[in-house]
Amino acid sequence: MSKMFKLSSKIQCDVLIVGAGGAGLRCAAHILEKRPGTKIIAVTKVSHPQKSHTSTAQGGLAAVDPQDRVDKPIYHMFDTWKGSDCMADQAVVRKIVDAAWEEIVWLENRGMHFTRDEEGRLSKRTFGGHTVRFGEASAFRAVFEADRTGKGIMDNVWGEALKGGVAFLDQALLTELLIQNDRCVGAVLFKEKTGEFVAVSAGATVLATGGCGQVFRVTTNCRQNTGDAHAVALQAGLPLMDMEAVQFHPTGIVGPGILASETLRSVGGILRNKDLEPFMARYAPKMKELAPRDLVARAIETEIREGRGILNPDHGIEHVWIDLRHLSDYVHSVQIPEVSGFFKQFMNLDPRTQLCPVRPSNHYQMGGIPTNACGEVQRSPDAVVSGLYAAGECGCASFHGFNRLGTNSILELITMGRFVGERVLQALSEAAGRLPADAGDRTYARFAGYLENGNEENIDQIREDMRRMMTENVGVFRTEEGLETAIRSLADSAERVRSAALRCRSLQMNQELVQRWELDNLLSVSMVIAQGALRRRESRGGHARVDFPQRRDEFNSHTLAYMTEFGKIRFASRSVDMSLFEAKAENHEKFGLIERKY
Amino acid sequence: MKESYSLVFNIKRFDPEKGKSWMQTYRIEAGRILRFTDVLRKINKELDPTLAWNSSCEHAQCGSCSVVINGRPMLACELLVENAVELFGTTVFTIEPIGVAPVLRDLVVDLEKAYDRVHRIRPFIIRPSQNPNQGQEYRISPRAMEGYLEATRCINCFCCATACMSSHRGFMGPNAVMASVVRIMDPREDATDERLQQLYSEEGVYRCHTSKACSHVCPKEIDVAHFVALAKEGEFS
Repeated sequence: MSKMFKLSSKIQCDVLIVGAGGAGLRCAAHILEKRPGTKIIAVTKVSHPQKSHTSTAQGGLAAVDPQDRVDKPIYHMFDTWKGSDCMADQAVVRKIVDAAWEEIVWLENRGMHFTRDEEGRLSKRTFGGHTVRFGEASAFRAVFEADRTGKGIMDNVWGEALKGGVAFLDQALLTELLIQNDRCVGAVLFKEKTGEFVAVSAGATVLATGGCGQVFRVTTNCRQNTGDAHAVALQAGLPLMDMEAVQFHPTGIVGPGILASETLRSVGGILRNKDLEPFMARYAPKMKELAPRDLVARAIETEIREGRGILNPDHGIEHVWIDLRHLSDYVHSVQIPEVSGFFKQFMNLDPRTQLCPVRPSNHYQMGGIPTNACGEVQRSPDAVVSGLYAAGECGCASFHGFNRLGTNSILELITMGRFVGERVLQALSEAAGRLPADAGDRTYARFAGYLENGNEENIDQIREDMRRMMTENVGVFRTEEGLETAIRSLADSAERVRSAALRCRSLQMNQELVQRWELDNLLSVSMVIAQGALRRRESRGGHARVDFPQRRDEFNSHTLAYMTEFGKIRFASRSVDMSLFEAKAENHEKFGLIERKY
Repeated sequence: MKESYSLVFNIKRFDPEKGKSWMQTYRIEAGRILRFTDVLRKINKELDPTLAWNSSCEHAQCGSCSVVINGRPMLACELLVENAVELFGTTVFTIEPIGVAPVLRDLVVDLEKAYDRVHRIRPFIIRPSQNPNQGQEYRISPRAMEGYLEATRCINCFCCATACMSSHRGFMGPNAVMASVVRIMDPREDATDERLQQLYSEEGVYRCHTSKACSHVCPKEIDVAHFVALAKEGEFS
């Protein structure tokens, strides 16, 4: 192997955090507040932590204010459990919900610019699925910073991490986890800017790389969300959990994929197909546009599949229309100005006079790298890998189960980030292991393979084909036939990509090389999603099987999928924690296997 | 309405290994509402996979894709083809990297270096003021926040710093000034004097020539110059 493939340096630190978004930097900030001087390296794939996907979260952050006389943590727990379609782990739900308000105060005291009410206290708003008294009425539970809550969190945790003295490593990739005797001793990184490989030895390694939305053609996720830590964990022989649980938002704006919020439908927007028929009447005669998210998403997808969609020639994406033309000027300018603004900004059209193109858009990955309630990564349901942690969208303690409620995602990342920080602090005294002698070898083999001569297969084309195929077969609609097609197609793509040729053969700042690596990750994650979806012969939360439309109790456990060789998956399962139900305390019956009906 | 445009992209390229830079011309057909990031992706797919450019969220929330288009710093992700043709009155575009940080390859700059200026002003609360409601949030009235809320929308895309005639020569740059002004106005910050000292230092606000280019180019339409002016006028001392 060429001399390019060597470790340029070995670095030692106490804590290596991979992914410098909300979860990763909240973890860093906690550790540094409690143990100043801890040597933390935070690695990010983007060009600066502030560019992380956390920054794009809009809506809000769910947390029950202890001074609220109506709302209670138990209601928030119930809503989360119900929303999860009985797949969230109740111990995790309880831990996060109970810690929520402390986190809000932490963020506010450190400078987050929350929106305030007239008394100068934090404003709160309602959000779908959040209720008081077990579904009786909407809860005012979401604190927010205008329409940029995620940015507020990101700016804040970045600032605090900086204040505490974190060493940042921007534009670097995690290519290999170093695990010896079930203990993670660090990782191998690839520094994009210089094309160098480094081995980092760390007492604790925290994975916080975000989701994998780029698996799908239309997604709200940023360009870098390619399931990197997921794939690297699989390569290290670790499982992924519940990856078939993917959330799709019914109305993404064609092109950038940004959400056109539910508000458009609640203020009276009408969905129309290419014949301008208001088709929701056929799917939900009573509720029509106000039917639940998953039903609306499947209705839109059906219209498109049956040839009643419209093709956007520029983006090559089929869609339906949302008609807002009949709404008053007041509605446009006061109730939906932001979304109207998005259509103007990214589609160059005026929703007052023109039809707006929307289609279901991938939004969130509920599954991920399995952890316990402290964020320790599990190699099996009853054993952890010591020294390895995961938090945020890439991790899965299972707060969301099979369907996430709005405003629960940034709550999860901020609380789990702290919990990981707490656990890391307890464990730091344990001696870190030595780096293995073959650290980097697997990475070199992979990267050298990428740079070898191939044929003319085009990476961009393979990726685009894969993303379209996943949207079609593993998206809002899943059938046995479609999933089998998907699995065969992924195997073909993996074959094609093996012989793809890179035009730029340099290691240094080579976008093509990075995309080639990402494509491997996307294919691995896609395979796990597709096979998990095939195996789960039921419908639950974000996982909708047309051929098995009901939830089935026999599937009432988490999927664990191991894949060290592409396509060959070994499945196991982890039981769902129902400790709130089993405690037999007041209202425990609300935490049984209840129906997810609204 | 034209459905599609024949565009000419003259892109400034840089190869870090050879230390060589050159202009390269790409001719490409693009639909009217494609964003410039979509067109760059199209170039990668159809013409040249080696062309490097930066982006992340691609809906104007993260500020990673700033480039200089026909002399004007902009976010490539929110510039639609037909709007660009109208704005510049041409289908020929020269695209260069922003000039406030070293180029890594082609349009990708080392944003970490650009951020050094922002890190220097310490974008956090340096010394928290006394909170009368220990264990709770500070009480801040919406009106007290009005004065600086606009500035908190900044995404550090560095378009302002690129357009600023002074920021290439020792000035910390408009976005860094604005980030510090936010904390000076924030009642939770006690370290106002330190901040002012820095704003009035060698790299501080007096290097600003009040061209207001910062406000003019800001993709978030923040009146950046207003916040720089507040500091210059001694509003806080």
